[in-house]
Amino acid sequence: MALKNTTEKLDEYQERLKHKKAKPISRKHVEKVIDKLASKHDDLKAELKAASKPSKRDRIRAKVKVVEELQSRANWLLEKVKKSK
Amino acid sequence: MKKLLLPIILAALVLGFWNSQDFQEIAAGVAIFLFGMLMLEDGFKQFSGGVLERVLDKSTDTIPKSLGFGFVAATVMQSSSLVSVITISFLSAGLIKLIAGIGIMFGADIGTTTGAWLVAGFGLKVKISAYAMPMLALSIVLVFQKSKYVRGFGFILAGLGFLFLGIHYMKEGFDAFSEQFDLTKFAMVGVMGLLVYTAIGSMATVVMQSSHATMVLVITAMAAGQVSYENAIALVIGANIGTTITAIIASLPANYLGRRLALAHVIFKLVTAVVALTLINQMVWAVDWISDKVGIRPDDYALKLAVFHTMFNTMGVAIMTPLMNQLIAFLERTIPEPELDISQPQYLSRAVESFPVSMEAAMRKEVKHLQDNATKLIAHGLNLHRHEIYAADDVAKTVEDSRAEVELDIDAKFEQRVKALYSAIFDFASRAGALNLPRDITDHIYGLRDSAQSTVHAVKAIKHLRHNVTEYTKYPQGTITDIYNGLRAEIARILIEINKLDRSDPDDRSMLWLDEERVQIERDRKNTTRMIEGLIRDGKIDAEEATSFMTDSGYAYEAMSDLIEAARVYYADTEDGMAEVERILMLEDEDIEELLSEVGDLENID
Repeated sequence: MALKNTTEKLDEYQERLKHKKAKPISRKHVEKVIDKLASKHDDLKAELKAASKPSKRDRIRAKVKVVEELQSRANWLLEKVKKSK
Repeated sequence: MKKLLLPIILAALVLGFWNSQDFQEIAAGVAIFLFGMLMLEDGFKQFSGGVLERVLDKSTDTIPKSLGFGFVAATVMQSSSLVSVITISFLSAGLIKLIAGIGIMFGADIGTTTGAWLVAGFGLKVKISAYAMPMLALSIVLVFQKSKYVRGFGFILAGLGFLFLGIHYMKEGFDAFSEQFDLTKFAMVGVMGLLVYTAIGSMATVVMQSSHATMVLVITAMAAGQVSYENAIALVIGANIGTTITAIIASLPANYLGRRLALAHVIFKLVTAVVALTLINQMVWAVDWISDKVGIRPDDYALKLAVFHTMFNTMGVAIMTPLMNQLIAFLERTIPEPELDISQPQYLSRAVESFPVSMEAAMRKEVKHLQDNATKLIAHGLNLHRHEIYAADDVAKTVEDSRAEVELDIDAKFEQRVKALYSAIFDFASRAGALNLPRDITDHIYGLRDSAQSTVHAVKAIKHLRHNVTEYTKYPQGTITDIYNGLRAEIARILIEINKLDRSDPDDRSMLWLDEERVQIERDRKNTTRMIEGLIRDGKIDAEEATSFMTDSGYAYEAMSDLIEAARVYYADTEDGMAEVERILMLEDEDIEELLSEVGDLENID
């Protein structure tokens, strides 16, 4: 999981928050994004099941991969937010 | 006539000052009162971008709710004019519907009558200036504070202080005036009296731009015995007619919806005035009856006038609310929606610039308007039709079948439908930047401007593509047609995904979906070079065709990236905390590279 950039962005956000140039992130915000990602993941899986054309299946698989990457980042962020509270 | 009005008013004032010291005091009282109202408006505007708009947004979905909102807002702000200006601004920005706007305006007309109660019940019976002085002294300390909310509170306090001080001077002036002159000798009875004093009340309100000020003037003059009760009633009716001028002025820079609202207000007041003048005896009887029931002394004409003022507007609301649908039908007939000129901005008007939230909402809608024009032009530029590709089950097949050239002067259409709108958007964002708006709203407006810019770049890239796309796809020419169709299909898929995002519920969607497309674009871009090399090696395309395609695919990927970037900004969550989460999670270019290196794992996904 490529977390280097995410960590940097989190640090940059915390710096802005310190200077009151960002709005605080709550656990609820991250959980809502996680829910949206889960729902997208389910939709893509259903789409993959229904697709027969190899090129279409390949494109959907790539999308699933991206959503899974985003899900793992979101779970990581949730842990960070929980710890910071 | 308009040019003459100002010198006439100034000359009348100077003449009055020359003749009477007391007139000076009354005029100064009116001026201080109006100044107080301006400060109140400024104070409430400091809270703009927050509570005011959020409440307005959420409490106008039914007629009773919008009536209630208008009533409460005008009672708290003591100005139906400010409520009218906000309503027209929100209506022009498309934030509320006409029916809600009319409801707010009606409610505000009742709410603003509470001012007369305050003056008649409190202002004349208590030494009001005793409250004004400490309020003014305290307010000035608050006005110089850094926090805009504290500053806003300071302006509101100062506004109220000046209102009280203005009432005090008007009262003093009339008390002294009545010792020297007796204006009641000009009193008129009968129908003529009603009509003449109604006209005077209207004109006074048009000049002062405030029915509230006219009401206070009438109540204080009547308390000093300078105006008879009957004539005061006609003055109040006149003030109610004259107050529509504020809404008319506010609607001048507004779009057709703002003008419809102003006309609704004029109709409301005129109909009520006609009914009130016709049934004047019954109304006076009703005022006496109500006054008796609520314990108002028979000779307390100031409070009776406040009762009349409230009754007048409540009666108007009672008459007009059941006729709301007919009223709207009439407004729609009288002020028709202008024929849509999609090359002209539809939401960015001066009227929306009164309030930050309406500015952001108008900007968002205008950028969407630009995107609609742009996607249509992009699809037609590639000889595709949006309705066909949006409904396609097999995008590649639909694109392959769409061979007929769309008759289009893409350069002219770009100038008319994209560039003209972008200029208006850019200009609006620059004006917004010069205003002292809340930082988050300025950031959102700039973000939307950047989104518009990316959209414009995407269309420009498609302009470069159009010639070869048409040349190679209008009839089958073998491999070169296939690869150009492949390119068209990739762009079509981006348009489809953005359309899906647009149609989904804002609570369910996320701009993070677009990361899937960004990865896809990078995959396709990388595959293109390998594919072309293979095709040249196999002799399926010649070097000239390959060069053309490589250049065109560069434009195509540029367009796709720009469309994604525009959508990413446009569909970012509007709640700031959620937007921060999306920003942290979204993939950067390096992340996409890393993901692409794992592409071999895709076979395991099922």
